[in-house]
Amino acid sequence: MIEVKSLQKSFGKVTALDGLTFSAPEGQITGLLGPNGAGKTTCLRTIYGLLKADSGEALIDGVDANKDPLTVRTKIGIFPDKFGLYERLTAREQITYFATLHGLEGKAAAQAVAEVIDRLDMNAIADRRATGFSQGQRMKVALAQAIVHRPQHLILDEPSRGLDVMSTRILRDLLRELRNQGTSILFSSHVMQEVAALCDQVVVIAAGKVAAQGTPDELCQQTGETALEEAFVKIIGTDEGIAA
Amino acid sequence: MKSPIKIVWRKEMKDALRDKRSVMAAMSYAFFGPLLMAVAFYVLISQLTDTSDVKIDIEGGEYAPAFVQHLQSRGVVQRDEPWPAGRQPITLEIAGDWDENIATAQPAKVTLTADFSSQKQRTDIRRVESAVEAYSTQLTYIRLQMRGIDPRITQGIDLVKHDTATKGSKAAILMGSVLIFILLSVFFSGMNVAIDISAGERERNSLELLLSQPLTTSQLVWGKSLAASAFAMFGGMLSAILIPIIFKLLPLHEIGMSISLGWPMVLLIILLLVPLALLATALQLFVSFRAKSFKEAQTYISLLLMAPMLVVFGVEFARVKNQLLYYLPLTGQHQALLDIIKGEPLQWMAMLVSAIATFLVAVLLLKLISRMLSSEKVVFGL
Repeated sequence: MIEVKSLQKSFGKVTALDGLTFSAPEGQITGLLGPNGAGKTTCLRTIYGLLKADSGEALIDGVDANKDPLTVRTKIGIFPDKFGLYERLTAREQITYFATLHGLEGKAAAQAVAEVIDRLDMNAIADRRATGFSQGQRMKVALAQAIVHRPQHLILDEPSRGLDVMSTRILRDLLRELRNQGTSILFSSHVMQEVAALCDQVVVIAAGKVAAQGTPDELCQQTGETALEEAFVKIIGTDEGIAA
Repeated sequence: MKSPIKIVWRKEMKDALRDKRSVMAAMSYAFFGPLLMAVAFYVLISQLTDTSDVKIDIEGGEYAPAFVQHLQSRGVVQRDEPWPAGRQPITLEIAGDWDENIATAQPAKVTLTADFSSQKQRTDIRRVESAVEAYSTQLTYIRLQMRGIDPRITQGIDLVKHDTATKGSKAAILMGSVLIFILLSVFFSGMNVAIDISAGERERNSLELLLSQPLTTSQLVWGKSLAASAFAMFGGMLSAILIPIIFKLLPLHEIGMSISLGWPMVLLIILLLVPLALLATALQLFVSFRAKSFKEAQTYISLLLMAPMLVVFGVEFARVKNQLLYYLPLTGQHQALLDIIKGEPLQWMAMLVSAIATFLVAVLLLKLISRMLSSEKVVFGL
């Protein structure tokens, strides 16, 4: 369970988060939907403890990342805003690096890595160096890094950026599968279709606050619109910064 | 569970060893530095011990055949071939009234025209001058004797020179400049790796994910700095091993020098370099973790490299002598190395103190870097 309780965060005079509160329960995919600059990335970074909230708390299974970051980080898998690969390492080596950082060793690590490589259908590139990987291949490596240690919580920051149709499908299938295994998944997006297709629960963020919360259907009902996009525009009050 | 420091170290070593640029950088300075010195010394030695004739332009030789013959016997001869490009001619001009001046016991005029600031021609010019002076002294003696005066009357003082410089101490001056290479190789060799694992991490956008892993920033920083120090040490070792070998090959005995550096001493030098390698890496990481890109980090670090160079060259050339130098980081290693080369008694206590001081400063810097990486301001450049 990922819980965010009245998070406040400002950078200088800019208020990024303004009393943000929501939760992402186990076995559900929760989508953070919001226009650019709404505070999505700031919120996620606060959850895994890279940013410190001015007030409020972000809890993973009841543990605050600001107080005990290492415990929190063993429980989560992260697909960050920016994922750079080590160009001189092979895909397998990169994934193994993160597996060992999460405490997997020797055979157990090798097996976990092999499984995730199989699952993401990346055997063809597994032993190639990352130089020259396509965006989709890079995404797969980053995704494999995030899930190789089988975390109970998965946090993804705009995971479908720049992906082609096939890669997007692989990503969606994987997220559904993990959800069915009981993982709580939180991902941010500004892409409407993706959220509508994938999420059990949508949290709409605007200006660092929760503007609305519910299943895609509920959001439509609340606003009296039939399409999520229209509902969203109504909630935000503008269609700025949103991709259909 | 494996220590995260070891995991990070192993990954960074693997990554860096595959980077040809880093490996080359570590090798080249340590390798070419001593080699360059060897070539420089070889040229210097062959210049100093050069006994071939000095070929110069002699004008008006026909007025003074005996003088020209004297010059020839001293190895100063008339030049037939043209001067090579970029070299100023050395010209000795004998005035037409030579015979007359000799006959009337007047000073005979001889003009030496040359570029007296030229380093290359300094020995040549010196030899011409001494040949002329010798002839002049002979003339004086003859003139005095002809007048029935003891020529020794012109000698007020008989200066006897005793050169107390031992072969070892002459060598120390030479080796002093070589030591600088050994010391600085530690700073140069790990530089590329240090930049790549800090600023490079930020440039390729992998820093955020790495900092979100279940390891403390100090584990991360230690793993990384040990990897970069390994490269720094590799360079230091290479040059420490190469330099005595190179000096064995040089004909140093020809200029009256002897350098003997046994392997136990080489080993001691390598040990002295260990804490220095860690300090060099810590300094470089401290600077380049703040940089946003590889380029930016390179700029900062090349400025940073001036510091150890200034310190070492400053102490070396200003000939600063102070016991305090033995205890400080960097200067402590420098002084210890100097003592080793000169074959002077070693100050073991001072060596230990400076090693510990160096290590402590490095640890302190690494602590600072760890704290820096926990700060959102530094990590996200806010």
